[in-house]
Amino acid sequence: MNRASPLLAIGLLAACSGRQSPLAPAGDQAETLHQLFLLALAVCGIVYLVVVAALVWSLMRRGRDEDRDGAMRGLNRGLWATGIGIVLGVTILIVGSFLADRALFATRGEDALEVRITGHQWWWRIEYRVGGTARWIETANELHLPRGRTTRVLLGSADVIHSFWVPNVAGKIDMIPGRRNVLDLTPRQSGWFRGQCGEYCGMQHAHMAFDVKVEEPAQFEAWLARQSRMARPVGDSRGMHGQAVFARTCSACHAVRGTTASGRAGPDLTHVGARRSIAAGTITMSRGALQGWIAQPQALKPGTSMPAIPLAPADADAVAHYLAGLR
Amino acid sequence: MKPGGILVLLAACLAACSNEARTIGPAMPQTLPSGDADPRIGAYQENAYQVSQGRRYFAWYGCSQCHAEGGPADRDLTDGKWRHGGGFAQVYASVASGHPEQDFVRRIAIEQLWQITAYVRDLPTHTAEKRYRLLVDQKGEAQGSSWNGPQ
Ligand code: HEC
Ligand code: HEC
Ligand SMILES: [Cu+2]
Repeated sequence: MNRASPLLAIGLLAACSGRQSPLAPAGDQAETLHQLFLLALAVCGIVYLVVVAALVWSLMRRGRDEDRDGAMRGLNRGLWATGIGIVLGVTILIVGSFLADRALFATRGEDALEVRITGHQWWWRIEYRVGGTARWIETANELHLPRGRTTRVLLGSADVIHSFWVPNVAGKIDMIPGRRNVLDLTPRQSGWFRGQCGEYCGMQHAHMAFDVKVEEPAQFEAWLARQSRMARPVGDSRGMHGQAVFARTCSACHAVRGTTASGRAGPDLTHVGARRSIAAGTITMSRGALQGWIAQPQALKPGTSMPAIPLAPADADAVAHYLAGLR
Repeated sequence: MKPGGILVLLAACLAACSNEARTIGPAMPQTLPSGDADPRIGAYQENAYQVSQGRRYFAWYGCSQCHAEGGPADRDLTDGKWRHGGGFAQVYASVASGHPEQDFVRRIAIEQLWQITAYVRDLPTHTAEKRYRLLVDQKGEAQGSSWNGPQ
């Protein structure tokens, strides 16, 4: 164990700089919470050390004779010191938490990019508001954020309680059916992060994740412009065949804008080929993974509401080819 | 509360525990019901989870657009009077092949048809309170190709 303990410590700390960690803040809100965490850690750590030191001290004095009056005086002084310590500690924590709360809401009055996110068992519907209009651009399971700008996410749920959590960017907040919760995100560091549902919501709760990309505003605008477009027309015959099969078997639940497929029950697939993962972070995106998912969604994500639809091998291949091309 | 009362309450709570028990994965039916005595029927009709999935798909595949009060077809499925028979296999056939224009046989996978059938056959047992409750619960889900959000 002795030799293993440094290894263990490294193993534990290795998780601290990951793309899903509140200890590696990459945005204003996460930074605020991280500071509050450090403050609470410091206060509680000091209290812990003082208590342990007092305990050790009193154990070492065991059995030593002292006159009663002296002991009473010592006890009084000790009580006063403890009282002051408690008041001080609690005051620091209350002030710290008050300031942190204010910082979290500092951007609330400002204009922000609005994104509506709806939790479904077990995936995320994501809609971007087109500046100042009532039009929304829909996508799923992948959130892009412009760096240095505030994005206001409006959270709701279509079925049970979920919780929106991108720890590197902000704290978590529940998505409650019949209620709209609001969270401001101001990311400061570009890169890929991982979001995860933070409230147990059924069998595949653990597979209800999403990718988050923080990028430069210009890059973000280009991405959003691509997302707002209709699906790219299919060029080849295999793709045409895939599109026809899709329209027949999948369109009840999935939309591909610009085609006849207009189902709204499942994720919008207009640009599915451009996503990084499939089925809310369950598997990495690739042409083969798409085909695997279509063939056996229940094997990859048991319990998912996407049915296993038996397709002839040539049809399945064509559909996967078609979807991979939707970029 | 008396100890006897607590025991009864506990028993009532635990009685519901197996209501959703089910196997997941390849045990799912891949074939039509063979008749009203098909041994797989109980696993769907008596299972709260399968019935509730059936309700979900009922909305997703657009059944509620014609089969809700005031829908274009307005064929009431809740009155317990079946024109084409109320047995499992009969209702399955009404759903799958009774709507030639919608071509549900080809558009809906077999296991989903089982779930939808179980839900449709469960409808006549719903009280007014339960109907209201389900309506509220499913407000956030898609109905056919329309989705208006949870609010
Ligand atoms: C009954 C509704 C339904 C039908 C029919 C359906 N799907 Fe799905 N699909 C879903 C749902 C719900 C999800 C989300 C599943 C999850 O992540 O748990 C999904 C997810 C997906 C995804 C992953 C999307 C993403 O953003 O990661 C792909 C790809 C997909 N479906 C393709 C298909 C194809 C191809 C067909 C036709 C062969 C099809 N679906 C038929 C409901 C359906
Ligand atoms: C376009 C409208 C429409 C849609 C969509 C539709 N139905 Fe029907 N359905 C009807 C009509 C009209 C009848 C009556 C047909 C008859 O009596 O021959 C009917 C009859 C039925 C019956 C037989 C009722 C009886 O008394 O025996 C069942 C069961 C049924 N539908 C279930 C469904 C399910 C499940 C769905 C979705 C998968 C669905 N329907 C979608 C219009 C629709
Ligand atoms: Cu969830």
